[in-house]
Amino acid sequence: MLLPLLILLPIGFAATNIYRTASADPGPMILAAIYIVMMLSAHFVLVASGNRGDPLLLPLVAAIGGVGLVMLNRLAPDLGTTSAFGLNMNVAETQLLWFAVGLLAMLTVAIGLRDDRFLRHYKYTWALAGIALLIFTFLFGTEVNGARLWIYLGPIGFQPTEFIKIVLVLFIAGYLAEHRALLRDASLRLGPIRVPPLPYLLPMLAIFVLVMLVVVVSKDLGTALLFFGIFLIMLFVATGRRSYVLIGLLLFLAGSFVASRLFEHVARRVDAWLDPFADPSGAGYQTVQALYAFGRGGLFGEGLGQSLLPTAGGRFFGVETDFIFAVIAEELGVIGACGLLALTMALVFRGLRVGILARDDFSAMLAVGLTVSLGLQTLIITAGIVKLIPLTGITFPFVSYGGSSLLASFIIVGLLLAISHRSAVADEREGRGP
Amino acid sequence: MIALQVRRLAVYLVLAFTVVSLALSWWQVIDAPALAARPDNPEVIVARRTMPRGSIFDLRGNVLASSRLVNGISTRTYPDSSFTHLIGYASLRFGTTGLERVWDDILIGQTDPNPVNDIVDDVLGREPQPRDLTLTVDQRLQDFAAAQLGPDIGAVVALDPRTGAVLAMTSTPTFDATPISGDPATAGRAMNQIENQPGNALVPRDRQGHYTPGSIMKVVTAAAGLETGSITPQTTFPDQPQQEVEGFVVDGFRILEHNLSPVQPALWALSEALQVSSNIFFAHVGLEVGAEAYLDEARAFGFCSGLSIGDPDRALPVAPSYVTTPQDDDCSPFQDRAELAQASFGQGRVSVTPVQMALVAATIANDGVMPQPYVVRDVRTHASRPVRGPSDQVLETMSPPGGSRVVSSSTATQVRYAMVDAVEGPLGRLYAGAGAVSNFGVPGVRTAGKTGTAELGPGQEPHSWFIGFAPAQGSATPAIAVAVIVEGGGSGSGRAAPIGGAVMAEWLKILGSGG
Repeated sequence: MLLPLLILLPIGFAATNIYRTASADPGPMILAAIYIVMMLSAHFVLVASGNRGDPLLLPLVAAIGGVGLVMLNRLAPDLGTTSAFGLNMNVAETQLLWFAVGLLAMLTVAIGLRDDRFLRHYKYTWALAGIALLIFTFLFGTEVNGARLWIYLGPIGFQPTEFIKIVLVLFIAGYLAEHRALLRDASLRLGPIRVPPLPYLLPMLAIFVLVMLVVVVSKDLGTALLFFGIFLIMLFVATGRRSYVLIGLLLFLAGSFVASRLFEHVARRVDAWLDPFADPSGAGYQTVQALYAFGRGGLFGEGLGQSLLPTAGGRFFGVETDFIFAVIAEELGVIGACGLLALTMALVFRGLRVGILARDDFSAMLAVGLTVSLGLQTLIITAGIVKLIPLTGITFPFVSYGGSSLLASFIIVGLLLAISHRSAVADEREGRGP
Repeated sequence: MIALQVRRLAVYLVLAFTVVSLALSWWQVIDAPALAARPDNPEVIVARRTMPRGSIFDLRGNVLASSRLVNGISTRTYPDSSFTHLIGYASLRFGTTGLERVWDDILIGQTDPNPVNDIVDDVLGREPQPRDLTLTVDQRLQDFAAAQLGPDIGAVVALDPRTGAVLAMTSTPTFDATPISGDPATAGRAMNQIENQPGNALVPRDRQGHYTPGSIMKVVTAAAGLETGSITPQTTFPDQPQQEVEGFVVDGFRILEHNLSPVQPALWALSEALQVSSNIFFAHVGLEVGAEAYLDEARAFGFCSGLSIGDPDRALPVAPSYVTTPQDDDCSPFQDRAELAQASFGQGRVSVTPVQMALVAATIANDGVMPQPYVVRDVRTHASRPVRGPSDQVLETMSPPGGSRVVSSSTATQVRYAMVDAVEGPLGRLYAGAGAVSNFGVPGVRTAGKTGTAELGPGQEPHSWFIGFAPAQGSATPAIAVAVIVEGGGSGSGRAAPIGGAVMAEWLKILGSGG
């Protein structure tokens, strides 16, 4: 399954260099080679360690990440280099370093996590740790682009929300697994309306509201939407009640409406979403330029290296992170962009399958929650760029440039591998085939 | 277990991904041509810098705008400055205006007139090709009209009332757009000079100038009166002779005749009233029609909302004309009867563009149907040597966009007779200027028209207006309708009417000589 990567990645690198230098020289392949070797090694280590986890997860991640790396390699000359640890590295090189860190983390979790008890038993500790981290970010974080998301430790900045996302899923999975039967069956009746049994939901709601509060106050709307979506979907999966989701969505819409009235920067985002062309050089600039990039790309794309988005207005902000999907769509067309979405969807399917095959409620809820966090994050950022919803600043998992996002995403894959490994082993012990 | 819910969830997620993919396809395929047409698209900016830009020709193939590459940068030349306000400029420094803006994507080949070709080109990876435009305007008539205006500030708009084709459209003072389109460094200096000239040469007065119309508005009032049945051509107002002497008081506002009449007050019907241009008669008509009905009739003529030249998705915008105070992209209701009475003879708060008034004339000429004006005749492949004329390969020919009926055929005919009288009738000759309009040396042709003298206030020379059409005898279909304004030109008969007559005569001569 990793084999297509061997061909596609070098082709992507070669095409970029051929366009840039206007020569037949495919250019240096060292980054592509390292990436392929890293992915293959990680795969072999997994196999050698006896991990029986889902065999498609890593290849899919490698393919999605490969598209991202080709794009970052293509963007690198437009973005220049940054220096870290005394090395001058461009975005592709930095990202490759993070791929290495991420793979190591993934292997550690996948192989090392033989027992999930400490995950499920300390759910309140996880939740409190997450909230503490959030508050710390809010108090000491650095504001970038209107949202307070970053903590800087020396030269390395990281986004705590990426990790709080995992912690939040851990907590909700633990709580729902414990109280699922009650939540599903018990209900209060108010006339014809069935009301969720509030007392049972209260501890979870309390923690959840606290998280949302901090996220909203720190103006990180994309993450707020992501957290809320994860919460609702996990609640739905645990109880099978669509009414929870509907009530939640209505609450969210109402909350968004109030927020757009209260906070000026929310109102600006909403206006820029409803009619970006009203202020195409100001509030609507990013949306409008992304739409132009889509229009230029057409069905088959302009070809690697030919996007005008990175140099729009001198240098387009966020082209390697929030807007990398627009560059992909411009250079690879509808075909390429939908292909990438299809890969992500395949990854989500495998993740959900891990949840279905899991042997206990906690593992199942955890697998579904983690998978949904990847899928929903992809949906929120892409839907924002194609103007289906207001634009928010979150990353495209495995594709966008960014160490925190990459590391967190790999930890999620590691957890999925560990869960699927345990169910495979248990199935085998009972003589059931996978 | 939870398998059922997870499977349901998978279906929802597939739906969500599908919606995102569909939205993506919308922008990338369906809406792509519209996005490519926007001037702030980086693709357009890059293409404009380096790509040859299509030429623009007049009706007979004379070059009005052409580009060549100088040091790899597209440089544009405009040989005839009487077209500057219509064609605009395509400047690397100042962007695009006029037709250069509206047709930008076609001129640089960013989109094809046929959307299917765009997709074919995309699949085959073909480079976009610049396209040439041919206008409906005849350079001979355009230059003639500009020469008639001479050093005066004003505008001439001439339309073919049958099709809406723009025959001439010029605004003075004008400027040479060539230096603005050239080297960005010198373009700045050229723009500064133009901005510092008196008369505000950058404003296209024909489309964007707002003027009090004065008596030419009486054509609209006459049509409104007849169309609503408030008057007939025989209707008279018995109090009028007395009011001509004493003034006509409406809600405490005293209306006086501005023209010191060379004829005695009398009991006038429509034709005579239009000939002597009686303010009081038309004030009565407006009041008979009523405030709401008057606004509705004016709206039918195109007032109170933006007009455009060309079909809606590629339209040269025309500023809205108003009968009352503008309000929410519409005319506000009349404040009182005095305002309605004044609007009925073109004073008060009425403010109009020359294009709007040319359309009023064209509507009466065209049997009550207002033609949708258009100015681009066809799109052709790029001619590599523009001086030799446009290429033979026409990619798209614009058919006349059609029109909308404003007043009935009988109303149009009755107003038309009154407008013929206003130029050629025994009283009309006194007002339109003896021989100034009708006697222009084309035998056997009758002219319809109306002069206007827009009073601006004490101490200010009034604007001189004329609208009209020809030929107007019998059942002949008029070939040209005009609107002329000369700012501060004095009486309508003194300055604008002779220009209007001369422009119509020139066009009939051109047509008579075989085009």
